[in-house]
Amino acid sequence: MKPNHQLIVITVLSIIILLVSPWLGLDAFMATDIKQYILNEIRIPRVLFAFIAGAGLAVCGMVFQAMFHNPLATPFTLGVASGASLGAAIYVSLGLSFTIVGIDGTSLAAFIGALLAISIVYSISHFRHGFSTETLLLTGVAISFFFSSLILFTQYLSNITDSFHIMRWLMGRLNIVGYHDVLQLLPFVTICIAVILWLGRELNLLMAGDDIALSRGVSVKRIRYILFFITSLCVGAIVALCGPIGFVGMMVPHICRLLIGNNHYWLTPATILFGGSFLIVCDTIARLIIAPAEIPVGVITTLLGGPFFLWLLIKSRSRIT
Amino acid sequence: MTTLIQCIDLNVSIADALLLTRLNLNVEQGDYLCILGPNGAGKSTLLKCLMGLLSATNGKILFDDKSIKKIPQKALAQLVSYVPQANGRRLSFIVEDFVKMGRYPYHSVLSEWRPEDQNACDVAIEITEISPFLNRQMDTLSGGECQRVMIAAALSQQTPILLLDEPTSFLDPRHQVDVHRLINKLNKQHGITIIEVSHDLNHASQHGSHILALKQGQTIWQGKAGDFIEQQRLYTLYDQNFVFAIHPQTGAKIALADEMIEANE
Repeated sequence: MKPNHQLIVITVLSIIILLVSPWLGLDAFMATDIKQYILNEIRIPRVLFAFIAGAGLAVCGMVFQAMFHNPLATPFTLGVASGASLGAAIYVSLGLSFTIVGIDGTSLAAFIGALLAISIVYSISHFRHGFSTETLLLTGVAISFFFSSLILFTQYLSNITDSFHIMRWLMGRLNIVGYHDVLQLLPFVTICIAVILWLGRELNLLMAGDDIALSRGVSVKRIRYILFFITSLCVGAIVALCGPIGFVGMMVPHICRLLIGNNHYWLTPATILFGGSFLIVCDTIARLIIAPAEIPVGVITTLLGGPFFLWLLIKSRSRIT
Repeated sequence: MTTLIQCIDLNVSIADALLLTRLNLNVEQGDYLCILGPNGAGKSTLLKCLMGLLSATNGKILFDDKSIKKIPQKALAQLVSYVPQANGRRLSFIVEDFVKMGRYPYHSVLSEWRPEDQNACDVAIEITEISPFLNRQMDTLSGGECQRVMIAAALSQQTPILLLDEPTSFLDPRHQVDVHRLINKLNKQHGITIIEVSHDLNHASQHGSHILALKQGQTIWQGKAGDFIEQQRLYTLYDQNFVFAIHPQTGAKIALADEMIEANE
């Protein structure tokens, strides 16, 4: 199938998922007005929220995979999500609460954490000329551990309410009420996606290697900084609102690459749509599997993502040898 | 002949390591310069400088009398294209897409694909004879085919200068010949100035026009390719004894690294 046909299929499926999922698990015997309320104030915003977050996470993962020439490199595996979590956790435990030009302080704190993590990963992996898969992933693991213990530390220092709040949020959540969080997240993800669509040709060349990209005329450093900045912003905003929802950024773009190929002209829109729908599906499962109770969506994605990560690792190892 | 590239007293160091020292080089239009030398001599460093990946610590590089530092990356990409080493970089692009990516320096975000872009790609595809596998994914190609795709992608950039980093290492003899024939053709028929990093002394001395021999960042020798092969010079360059023969058809001098005599005897 040609890429454009595949993209049409993905679009149609996404629309179906968007339309159907809010209705799943609505009690048929519920009074109509309650049903309407649940649909309008809980289900629809939640589905939109999941779509936006999933699209953002997937597209950031795609950018990382292209920049580091490695399917295992994503904001989550490289510790960027942990950095964002740490920023947000510190914000919560300090009892801070401010907004700057309508942007919640949590998002800003998470953004700073993400940017910090990305700078550390990049400078370490760049320090010894060119990054092997091992160096890169080990750096990511080390940073994740380090930030995770700092999160535990802040949690330990907080009072019991904040501590519970942090813990629940670290599992990844999408259970929102109303449209406030949707509107908080939307601008970050939209800006990020717009820039990434804009830089499709540069991403193609970066994926081929920094030397090739540069020799074709890409200002590699500048593009890299823009992408780091914009993905930190996006991951920061998502992590601040939803917690670190793992592995979406790794699974979705990789599956899209297998389906539609590596040309970002097709890959970026496919990843956005597929990422959004994927997180909706995961969230619907999380919502229904032990209904009326709910599992945090992060548990579902990580349960799927762990084996997927191992599969990728084994596959890429066998390729090298 | 016009001078295309000039390196004047070029020094390159990273941290404390001196990678190139006081390199002076003139490349004229239509030259086929081969850069020889042992591993770690600074050959690839020089290529990286010429494509703007590394910048000189001291000294300067001039393209048409203009300092490389003053040339924007896209403009530089219209002057110089580059074919990387062919060792196991797995690219999973469709061949045709990858060749088209070479047109990047002629485009801005909103510009459309133009007939001249298509034409440049068609010419590159024709010269390199890669049309049979245009729709294949690059990681399914053999080493020789992949190298031809790499060259085609660089050609679609339509630059007067082509840099190649060990284009035939890792290839079997037949594909080495294939790729070298292709490079010769680009140089002789299409007038492209070639700068090639190589370990193939015999190809360099027979088909190159000039040779630059580097060792530990120092220039050991530079001059006309035909004058290069000489016992003492090769020994100095590689710390290795060579035996010599005359090519039965062309009469050119051929050098062969000799396994029978230890280097330090």
